[in-house]
Amino acid sequence: MEEVLNALARALSFGTPLLIACLGALLNERAGVVNLGVEGMMALGALAGFAVAYGEGGNGNLWLAVPAAMLAGGLAALLHGFVTITLQANQFVSGLALSMVGLGVAGLLGKRYEGLPLFDHPPEGPFILGAIGLALLLAFLFSATRLGLALRSVGENPAAADLLGLNVLALRYGAVVAGGALAGLAGAYLSLVYRPSWTDGMTAGLGWIAVALVIFVGWNPLRAIFGAVFFGLLYYLQFRLQGQSGIPSEVFASLPYLLVILVLALSGLRGQQGNAPEALGKPYRRGER
Amino acid sequence: MKTRLLALVAAIGLGFGLAQQANLKACFIYVGPIGDVGWTYAHDEARRAAEKAIPGLTTQYVESVKPADTLATVDRLVAGGCNVIFTTSFDFMDQTLEAAKKYPNVIFAHASGFKRAPNMLTYMADFYQIYYLNGLMAGALTKSGKVGYVAAFPIPELKRHISAFALGVRAVNPRATVNVKWINAWYDPVKAREATEALIAEGNDIVAFTEDTATVIQTAARRRVPSFSHYNSMYKYAPDYVVSGQLVDWSVIYIDILKKVQNGTYTPKNLENVDYWWLARERAVMLGAQVGMPINPKFEPALKQATMVVNGKRVSVYDRVMELYKDIQSPNPKWDPFTGPIRDRNGVLRVPAGRKMTVKELNEMQWVAPGVVGPVPDEPK
Repeated sequence: MEEVLNALARALSFGTPLLIACLGALLNERAGVVNLGVEGMMALGALAGFAVAYGEGGNGNLWLAVPAAMLAGGLAALLHGFVTITLQANQFVSGLALSMVGLGVAGLLGKRYEGLPLFDHPPEGPFILGAIGLALLLAFLFSATRLGLALRSVGENPAAADLLGLNVLALRYGAVVAGGALAGLAGAYLSLVYRPSWTDGMTAGLGWIAVALVIFVGWNPLRAIFGAVFFGLLYYLQFRLQGQSGIPSEVFASLPYLLVILVLALSGLRGQQGNAPEALGKPYRRGER
Repeated sequence: MKTRLLALVAAIGLGFGLAQQANLKACFIYVGPIGDVGWTYAHDEARRAAEKAIPGLTTQYVESVKPADTLATVDRLVAGGCNVIFTTSFDFMDQTLEAAKKYPNVIFAHASGFKRAPNMLTYMADFYQIYYLNGLMAGALTKSGKVGYVAAFPIPELKRHISAFALGVRAVNPRATVNVKWINAWYDPVKAREATEALIAEGNDIVAFTEDTATVIQTAARRRVPSFSHYNSMYKYAPDYVVSGQLVDWSVIYIDILKKVQNGTYTPKNLENVDYWWLARERAVMLGAQVGMPINPKFEPALKQATMVVNGKRVSVYDRVMELYKDIQSPNPKWDPFTGPIRDRNGVLRVPAGRKMTVKELNEMQWVAPGVVGPVPDEPK
C-alpha cells in the first residue's frame, strides 16, 4: 500500500510540469494555433523563475519568481503569435525554431546561475493542486463559458467565428500567450520545486512529452490530468521496476511515446484526426476559405 | 659600442626566443556545458587554474561539442593558433586520433581513452580507490543494509567504481547490498531524481552516484538520506547530508602536461607511450564532501563508533578510512582495493590472491563485485 501511494506521489510530482505545460499547449491548440516551442518556453520560464528566486546570493523573491516565469514564457509565445498569427508563417516551423531559440537563450543567459543550490524553495503540494485546479478550470471554460465557446470556434472554424463578429486574431493571441505563460510556469516548477536549481538543458525533453500528451488526451483538459499522471507513473516505474521485473526498463521509458503513436494511428484509421480542432495549424486569412 | 649593440641584439633575440617558448596556446574541447557541475565543469576549473599557474599560457575552450563535430572543432582551433588541444571525453577518441594524424605538429591530449600517437597522449584521473573509502563509510552508516547507487552508463569505468564502492561497503557490512539503477544518461536531472526516489522507496537509506548533476544529493536530502559528492564539491547542496565523496583536480595533470610541453620534454614526436593514470598519490583525486573536508564533521561520531575487522583486529571505520587515504596519498601506496583474491558476483575468481589488477584490466573491466544488485549489461557469466 505504501508502495502504491509512493508511486502515486511520484506520478503527481513528475506529472505536474507535464500537466501544466500540456494544458498550455492544449489551450492554444484549441484556438487553432500549434506551438511546438513548449520546451524552449519551459527553459526560459525555468531560468526566469530561478533568477528571481535566487536574486543575488539566494535572497531573491519566491513570490515574484512564478509571475516572472510566466511572463518569460508568455513573451516567448507572443513572438510565436506574431510570426504565425500576424505574419501567418508556418506554425510548426516557427514553434520548432522557438524551442531551439528558447533553449539557447536560456542556456546563454543562465550561465551565472548554473548549478547554484536554492535552499529556500516552495513545496510541491500547492503546484500539484494548482495544476489539477487549472485543468478543471479549463474544462469549465471550454464547456460552459462564452469565452470558451469563442476560443473553440476560432480553432474549429475561424471564418465562421469571424462572421459572428468574434475577433479571431485577438482570441488566438490571447490563447497563445496564455499557453506560453503556462509553459513558463511548468519550467518554474522544475527549477524552483522539482530540482531545485538551474542548469542548462534541465527541461530534458519534458516539453516534447507535453506536446505529445495533448494529442494523447484528445485535447481534453480533464483527460490531461489522467494522462499526465499516467505518463508520470510510467516514468517512475522505469526506475522502480528496473531489475525487478523481467521487463526491460526501456519498455517503460518508451511506452508513453508508443501509446501516442497508437492513439494517432487509431484516429487515423477512423479517418479523422481524433479530436483535433478543425483549423489547427492553419493561419487565418480573412476572405479565404 | 659594438659590443653593447651586440649585447642588445642578443638580449632582444633571447627575449624573442623566450617569448616564443612561452607562447603556448592550449585549447579544450568539452562534451558538455561548463556549468553542468560535473565532468566539464571540473575540466574548465582546471583550465583556469592552469592558465594562472603557467606564465605565457593562453587558453580557449569550446563547450557542448558533439563527438561527430570533434574534427571540425579541431580545424577551427588549429586555425586559431592552438598548439596543444585537450579533448575531454571518451567519445572524442577516434576523431582526436584522426586530428592528430592531420596535424602532426600539434600536440593532442585525450582524456579517458586508450588510443595514442606520437603527438597524442592520454590522461585520466581515476576514483576507484576513493570509491572504496566511500563504500566503507556507506557500509558503516546504512541501517537497512541497502545502499543505493544511481549510475549513468554500464561501461567499464562505472563497473570499476561501483565494484570498488561495493567492496568497501561489504568490508564493513558483509550482508549489505549496493542497489544500482541505470539512467543511461550523463546529464538528465529528471531521470536522476526519479531513479533516486525509486531507490529510497526500495529502502536504500544512503545513496551514491555517478552522473553529472547534483540531483541525487538534492533529492536524497529532501528524504533525509545521506549521500556522497561526485566529481565536484557538492557539500553546499546539502550540508547536513553529504557524508564525503570523490573529488577531482584535473589541474595537476594539465599543469604537468603543459609545463612539459613548454620546457620541451613533450614534443609532437614522443607521446606514443605517455599515459597519465593519476590517482590520489598525484593529488589528481581527493576524498571529500568538498575540497578540504575529507569527511563531513556531522558524520564523524557515527563513523568513529562503527567498527570493522581488519587483519583480525577491530578498528573504527573512521580510522580505517583515514589510514587508507593516507596510504594512497603516499609516494608508494601499499594498498589497493582491487587486490586479490576477488571473485565477481557470480563467484568467478577475477583477481587471484596476492595480485593487483593492472590499469589495462581496470579499463576493460566488465564484471562487478559481490553485493552489487541490479541488471548489469555485458557482464561475463
